[in-house]
Amino acid sequence: MRQRFHEDLAALEAEVEELGGIVERQIGDAVAALARRDAGLATAVIARDDEVDGAYLDIERRILDLIALQTPVASDLRLLSAILHINLHLERVGDGAVNIAKIATITQELPHDPTILEHLQEMSDIVRGMLRISLEAFTRRDLELCLKLPALDDPVDVLNRGMYRKVLNLAGDPAALEWGIRMNTVARQLERVGDHAVDVGEQVGFLLTGEFREFVDSSHKEPLTDGS
Amino acid sequence: MIREEDATGREHRDPGIVSLPEEPVDEPRANRAMFVLDGFDLYFGRAHILKGITLEIPSNQVTAIIGPSGCGKSSLLRSLNRMNDRVPGMRVEGKVLFEGDDVYGQSVDPVTLRRRVGMVFQRPTPFPMSIFDNVAYGPRLHGLAKRSELDRVVESSLRDAGLWDVVKDTLRKPATALSGGEQQRLCIARTLAVDPEVILLDEPTSALDPSATTRIEELLQRLAERYTIVIVTHNMQQAARVSEDTAFLLSGELVEFGPTDKIFRAPDDRRTEDYVTGRFG
Repeated sequence: MRQRFHEDLAALEAEVEELGGIVERQIGDAVAALARRDAGLATAVIARDDEVDGAYLDIERRILDLIALQTPVASDLRLLSAILHINLHLERVGDGAVNIAKIATITQELPHDPTILEHLQEMSDIVRGMLRISLEAFTRRDLELCLKLPALDDPVDVLNRGMYRKVLNLAGDPAALEWGIRMNTVARQLERVGDHAVDVGEQVGFLLTGEFREFVDSSHKEPLTDGS
Repeated sequence: MIREEDATGREHRDPGIVSLPEEPVDEPRANRAMFVLDGFDLYFGRAHILKGITLEIPSNQVTAIIGPSGCGKSSLLRSLNRMNDRVPGMRVEGKVLFEGDDVYGQSVDPVTLRRRVGMVFQRPTPFPMSIFDNVAYGPRLHGLAKRSELDRVVESSLRDAGLWDVVKDTLRKPATALSGGEQQRLCIARTLAVDPEVILLDEPTSALDPSATTRIEELLQRLAERYTIVIVTHNMQQAARVSEDTAFLLSGELVEFGPTDKIFRAPDDRRTEDYVTGRFG
C-alpha cells in the first residue's frame, strides 16, 4: 500500500542510528584529544561537526516532508515524532563533543591533573555506553532496556558533582585552577550527554507505549549542592 | 525531560531539551448514548454482513465509521435508521436501541424513525425542483402547509447548512443549478428541515472538491453541537479531522472503537494499526 513511505521511514531510522554512532565517537575522540593533548584530533572533531549538522538537517527536512506528504498516523506518527526528537538530542551530543574539543585546544598549555582526567574519562565511558544502549533500545524496540538508562545516569551525576571539589583543590595554582574550571565545564558537557541518552530512551518509550513519560523527574531530585 | 535549579535555587526548564506535551487525562464523557448496539447481526440472505456489533454512539458529537470497502460500514450506518429494510433477505439479530427504544421493535414506524434519524448520501441528491421546494419537501410531507412557517423552516435550515447567504435571492431557481458542494449542503438543509435528532452521512464528500469538502467538515462540527452525527468515510484524514470517536470495522466485525485521537495515535488492535497506517486495505 504505502510501501514507499515505509521504506523512507526505515531509511530515516537507519540514518538517525548512524548519526548516533557518529556523535558517540565524537565524544570519545574529544575526550581522548583532551587527555592526550592531541590538537590534531581536537581539530578533527570540530571539523567533523559539519558532517553531524548536515546529517541532522537532512533528517529533519525529510521528517517534515513525510509529515506533510504522507500524513502519518499511529505507530508511523510515533516513529516520526521519536526520530525528530532523537535527531535533535543527537545533534546536541555532537555540539557537546565540539565544546569539549575546543576546550582541549585552549587548555593544551596549562598544567593538568591526571586524577581529574581519569574522572572525565570514566564519565565519558559511561555516557557513551548510555548512548549506545539508548540507540540499541531504539533499534530493538526494547522498553526494558531503555528503562535501565536512568540508573546508569546516576553515577554520572555523582561524578559531575564530585568535580567541583577536585577543582577547588587546585585553587593554590592559578594556571591549574584555570585548567580545572575548564574541566568542570567538560564534566558538565558529559553529564548532559547522559541526560540526552535518557531522553532518547524516553522517546523509545513513547514509540513503544504511545504514552510520553519522563523516566526521571529531575525537578524532584535532591538539591544540587556541589555547585554543579 | 531534565529540569534543574539555577544559582538562585529556582527551578527552570532547560530550554535545550525538547519535550512533548503531557498526555491529556481522559475525562468522563458527558454525552449520553444516542444509539446502543448490543450483539447486533445483520444478514442479507445467507451473507453475514455485520457480526455481533456492540457499540454505543454518544449524542452531540461526530462519530466516524472507517474500514476497507465491503467491511459493512455503510450497512451499519443504514441499520441505524432501517434503510436496509428493503434489501431482499434482510434479517437482524441482537439489538439496536435508539434513545432506549428497539429500532427493530414491532412498534417502531420506520418513517418516523427516518425523520428523527436523517441521512445524507455520497452523491448530492437534489430533487428536480426549486431550492425552496427541496428544503420544504420534508416539512410538507409531514403536514406543514402554512406559508410563513415553511418560509421560517426553509430559512433556518439553509442558514444552519451554511447556504442561506448563497441562495437567499435564488430560492426559486432549480436546485440542480447549484455546484456539487452547494447541492450537498442543500441535502443537509433538507435533512435539517424535518428537525431530526441524528444525521447519518455516507461518504458525504467523496464527490466533492477539497474546498467544498472543508466547508462540509466545518458544517458537521458546528452541527454536532445540536445533533448527533455519524459519518462513514473512506477518507481517514477526514475521520481524524471531524470526529470525536472512531469505529473501525473489518469483515463485518467491530475491531476497535474509541477516541479518534487514540485510534490515530496509538490504537490497541494490530489490525487497526495496519489499516490506518496503510499497511493493508
